[in-house]
Amino acid sequence: MHHMLHIKNGIVIDPKNGIKAEKMDIFVKEGKIVEESEIDKSQCKVIDASNKLVVAGGVDMHAHIAGSKINTGRTMRPEEMRMVRQIANKFRATVGRVLLTSPAIGYEYAKMGYTTSFEAAQPPIGALHTHEELDAIPMVDKAALPVFGNWHFVLKYVAEKDIEKLKTFIAWAIERTKGFGVKVVNPGGVEAWMYGKNCRNLDDEVPNFGITPREIITSLIKATEELNLCHSVHLHCNNLGNPGNFETTIETMKLANGFSNDKRQVLHVTHVQFNAYAGSSWRDVGSGAAEIAKYVNSVDNITIDMGAAIFGHATAMTGDAPFQFTLHKLLNARWSNKDSEIEGGAGIVPLMYLPKNPVHALQWAIGLELGLLIDSDKVVLTTDFPNGGPFTEYPYVMAMLMSKKMREKELEKVSPFVQKAANLPSIETEKSLEEVIHMTRDLPARILGLENKGHLGVGADADIAIYNLNPNEIDASNDYELINKAFRNALYTIKGGTIIVKDGQLVEEVWGTTYWVDATKNVDMKAIEDDLNEYFDLYYSIEKENYGVEEAWIKNPTRLVMG
Amino acid sequence: MLIIKPKVDFVVSVEAEITPDIADDLEKAKNFEVYYGKDKVKLEDLFEITKEGDDKKLVLDGDFSKVKWIGCRMEDGEIVVKGNVGANCGAYMKGGKIIIEGNADDWLGAEMSGGEIIVKGNAKNCIGCAYYGDMQGMKGGKITIEGNAINYIGEKMAGGEIEIKGNAGDFIGTEMTNGLIVIHGDCGFVGGDMKGGEIRIGGKFELMPTFKKSEEGFVGDINVGGKGVVKTL
Repeated sequence: MHHMLHIKNGIVIDPKNGIKAEKMDIFVKEGKIVEESEIDKSQCKVIDASNKLVVAGGVDMHAHIAGSKINTGRTMRPEEMRMVRQIANKFRATVGRVLLTSPAIGYEYAKMGYTTSFEAAQPPIGALHTHEELDAIPMVDKAALPVFGNWHFVLKYVAEKDIEKLKTFIAWAIERTKGFGVKVVNPGGVEAWMYGKNCRNLDDEVPNFGITPREIITSLIKATEELNLCHSVHLHCNNLGNPGNFETTIETMKLANGFSNDKRQVLHVTHVQFNAYAGSSWRDVGSGAAEIAKYVNSVDNITIDMGAAIFGHATAMTGDAPFQFTLHKLLNARWSNKDSEIEGGAGIVPLMYLPKNPVHALQWAIGLELGLLIDSDKVVLTTDFPNGGPFTEYPYVMAMLMSKKMREKELEKVSPFVQKAANLPSIETEKSLEEVIHMTRDLPARILGLENKGHLGVGADADIAIYNLNPNEIDASNDYELINKAFRNALYTIKGGTIIVKDGQLVEEVWGTTYWVDATKNVDMKAIEDDLNEYFDLYYSIEKENYGVEEAWIKNPTRLVMG
Repeated sequence: MLIIKPKVDFVVSVEAEITPDIADDLEKAKNFEVYYGKDKVKLEDLFEITKEGDDKKLVLDGDFSKVKWIGCRMEDGEIVVKGNVGANCGAYMKGGKIIIEGNADDWLGAEMSGGEIIVKGNAKNCIGCAYYGDMQGMKGGKITIEGNAINYIGEKMAGGEIEIKGNAGDFIGTEMTNGLIVIHGDCGFVGGDMKGGEIRIGGKFELMPTFKKSEEGFVGDINVGGKGVVKTL
């Protein structure tokens, strides 16, 4: 039910519109934020937000919330499903410790004041499954990023240096999978994994294609920019999870040199915590976060997200199949390997971050270092759910970024290895509330190219969170517990103008939209038709005609036409 | 001591996590919440409860084969079941004693870390095992079964002792890392992926080809670099 809303006397922080903790009113009509003159005050519901923080709904730009990976994780981790979160009442029953069931994902985001979440790695052939699961997640707007970096068509066109065909293929693939952008996972490395190998360096050759990760990444950036997609290439770097990999990460970032875009970055490097290790082995491993931060701060065409590690249970799930095998061997943990035909693969490994484990403590520290050392306009707060831990711990990360005192207290509980291997103990930076709001709202929205998300300007979607915090009174560096608590349970979460959470409790179920990008306008599909027919004939287990997802099959789709 | 008798024949399972902790107070025991199917009810709705003396003991008199989770997480005291008992009896148990005069069901003493369980009749599957997905099964204490048991005995067992005086089925001590399993009768496959601990068998059994014969007995499972021992009693 859409109400007209008048959110009265709230203390608004809206970085995109330059509003820094000002007392002001917000007006909502038909799911959008409008001018005061547009609403009829006699019919409007008034929310008294006096002395409360009013911000845009949170935007999670990188989480694994739907599709075959999280579902395989659920299947192989029955122990995750013993935690009952909610028995069926007006809302659906939910279970799950970290690997939540689909409705639990929507509900938990809503309780935290988050209203948008993107599935960050969709195996293209599993697109239908992914969309069916996204359709089972209530409360939030969503989308999925199909993975391109090891898809044989991509490798073929990169080898042929045919950017036009690559562009056409990307447009075809995003349309067919109803995807949102170009996700790249360990480019070339997963193809090499088909032969038991990996591509750990940018110049390792991809078997049978005579190309390198360097060429794949550069070509995909070029194609994405020429297609002018709303989101840039979203890259999971090569050499993930290995000591010394921060150098590979910086080398990779340099591939964006020479590309620029007025509206956004040209390369988003994701869950950088897993790609920011110094040293040469697990014995002398250290933090490479400072070097990465230095590079990211020096350029204006790259953004990253943290991929922070949270102590406790997690499940590693990524399209980076060779890394998952390494992790399985390292941890002696369960392992599932997935193959998505000629598109790539994936792996799933359960894990747990222990504070007393030197490596885990280092990972925890590196995630936070990235958040602290990198300019708030370039780093998004994520845990790469469920790889670094549950998204329900975002408030913990927010509080940690804002309080040196809290970090000192937490550092006492972790392995002393961190003291020598990481920079965290010596970092004095405390992010402001405004910066943390920026890192969780308008920055991810800008990176994704969603103009109506992450801010409270007129015309924006009425996705609003109100928290029990007065920004003008709170001293975040001392009152970190209040910050941590307030962001866990929103006083109000408003999604598209509907109040869905009140006092941290669900009050109404709504169904968000699924965004998908249509970039087919400026390409000629005929250019790749023969190749598609040939590959589907020779290599795919299904017919081309049966491949993909029709818009009508999605519950509530929104098509974004690129042109 | 409390004497607890079922009032009716149960149509669906009862989930009653009762331990000797409720023995000291009759009112507390009567109001103890249990599930009857999907309904939450009080213990006294399903059982007749009487108190005799002050010792920390429960006597379950009657057929409890549809009553699950008896003695779950118990730490001390004693439970005597004068009949059959349902699944998950003594799960996660830390101490105390459970005596079952009839038969036990599946998941007897699953993931227990201390205490003692004695079954005078037979038991079923997954005795002293890890629940699905968990890394360790039984870690301490002792389970004795006077009769027979079925499959999966001591899976992922990490300590303690299981003794079966009759026969058992397949998959004994799978992924076991420590502890002792003794089977006086016959059984099927033994010790798959066993890393440590010891299995002693009185009768016939089948061994994987991944065990090496040595002076101690058969050592393996070499597939996982295991140093478990399987030998005859």
